[in-house]
Amino acid sequence: MPDFSPEDNKLALKVVFYGPALSGKTTNLMQLHSLLNPERMGELMVLETRDDRTLFFDMLPLGLRGQSGLDLRLKLYTVPGQVQHDSTRKAVLSRADGVVFVADSQTNQQDNNAIAFGNLEENLEKVGLDIETLPMVVQFNKRDLSGVVAETDLQDCWAETPWSPLIMASALQGDGVLETFRTLLDRLYTTVDDEFGLADKHSISRQAFVDRLSHASHEGALHADL
Amino acid sequence: MRTFEDDPTLTDLLNDEQRSRLNQYLGGLCGQSVTLDQHRPSPDAVPVEFNLETVAWIGGGQSDEQRRAAADLVSFVMMFIGKYRLAANLHHDATEASYAELQRQNEALRASEARYRALSDQLQQKVDEQVSVIRQTQQELYESARLRSVGQLAAGVAHEINNPIGFISSNLRVAREYVRDMQALLPDNDDNRELATDFNDLLNESIDGASRIADIVSDLKTFSSIDQADYTRCDINALLTSAIHLVQTEHDHQLTIMEQLGELPSISGHPSRLSQTFFNLLDNAARAVRDKEGQSAGRILVKSQAQGDNIQVIIQDNGCGIPEAHRPKVFDAFYTSRPVGEGTGLGLTVARDTARAHGGRLQLNSREHTGTRVLLTLPINEGR
Repeated sequence: MPDFSPEDNKLALKVVFYGPALSGKTTNLMQLHSLLNPERMGELMVLETRDDRTLFFDMLPLGLRGQSGLDLRLKLYTVPGQVQHDSTRKAVLSRADGVVFVADSQTNQQDNNAIAFGNLEENLEKVGLDIETLPMVVQFNKRDLSGVVAETDLQDCWAETPWSPLIMASALQGDGVLETFRTLLDRLYTTVDDEFGLADKHSISRQAFVDRLSHASHEGALHADL
Repeated sequence: MRTFEDDPTLTDLLNDEQRSRLNQYLGGLCGQSVTLDQHRPSPDAVPVEFNLETVAWIGGGQSDEQRRAAADLVSFVMMFIGKYRLAANLHHDATEASYAELQRQNEALRASEARYRALSDQLQQKVDEQVSVIRQTQQELYESARLRSVGQLAAGVAHEINNPIGFISSNLRVAREYVRDMQALLPDNDDNRELATDFNDLLNESIDGASRIADIVSDLKTFSSIDQADYTRCDINALLTSAIHLVQTEHDHQLTIMEQLGELPSISGHPSRLSQTFFNLLDNAARAVRDKEGQSAGRILVKSQAQGDNIQVIIQDNGCGIPEAHRPKVFDAFYTSRPVGEGTGLGLTVARDTARAHGGRLQLNSREHTGTRVLLTLPINEGR
């Protein structure tokens, strides 16, 4: 749920990157950090890791100011994907305004995707959120690898869900990361505008919301040597 | 409520002591005092940002460049403090949530344990009840087997006695004729007349005695019903009458028993069990009407009548009655108020079970020192 403090005219939104272990959630966030050049962006905080696995979470704060003086903050979080960190995942997920589900495209990871998705559904319910109404984007990552499930198969499989079409990505190459983020911003705008009148009260249009928060830098993507 | 992700303030990140040390170090670097503060210390102060948030201001120093460098340095340090804070807070939140979850589960376990404990108690109670039913049934079985063997013995004895008593009785009558014939042949004097009269009286008394033996034998046969199948058509009045005779015999014909036996249809029943029941009830009544010296002092009323679809048998006495304290227990097996050896404590138990086995019921009303009334209701059925 968005956190609005009227005295500061400050609106804080929270987006969580969720998914099975090693599906590339942190890589997504690192790519966004290097690809984006929005009006305001803080340091990427990578909390403790062990063997390159997230123990707590990563966080990247973004922000923009509306003409009304609205101080809009968007914090992007990742969760630890490993099964044993479920209580941490639940704590990070609480009060989320949007979710990016980062799935692993490799054929042998489809069970893990399903387990993680079930876990997301379960944890959302536990923190009082509804997966059907929460703005969410499903990304299938690691398209650059061989031995991945064909895109048509994936799209067919998810066609009847609210999250169709899926977004194909290769986060390590920087492909599809911005598209995922922009799609999420678009869906997020709908719910936030409903509640806070972004367009009416703060003169922030859908286009402005998406463009200004996902303004790309000119340096281009980082590459595999991340 | 604060959560781990709330933006920290300067005091969350640094305590006063740490902040004054930082001020000191920055002052040392700049060669002039530097102030790090949550509130803007001077108009030329430079903001220190943390997560897009201005958490503090840097004032003092020698130039704007110095202030900016100091602010960047502090920001850089803040990020590591902030990371640690975030991780610690998240850990705290997650632990609290896990603990709350554990407590909920503990609560649920406790509730379920209580449920199972109650269930187990109930089961134990049911088992105890069943055990007591089995024990009672076993005892009744034993008792009825004993009664059956006693009945068989009685019937056997009765059958054996029947033949000799038949010819004794018939011979005695013939002998009486012979005495009369012999009297005619003897000289008619006082001695001979007296002898003949005495002989005649002796024979008459013997005939009476033999006839009483025959009656008892007949009652015993009815009572034990050894020659009958388990369930058969029963004449309740006939069973009552022979039970009355047996009780009288048992109590030396001292009892005052009034019979009011009405017209009854025959019903399907188990004659020996019914006889046993009537005998038990009559025997109870006979013992109730005895006075302190053991003499029979009261009256017993035996009444039978057809009432709608039922036959009612009432056995009533004006004897000692049952004290209130004993009344709830009178139907319990082996409950007896009589001295050791005088009662098994099964009489009313067997009577009630017999009534139930016949689809009827046994009701008992009693008042101490006034008397007892037992009402046995048996359904009039069309055989089974």
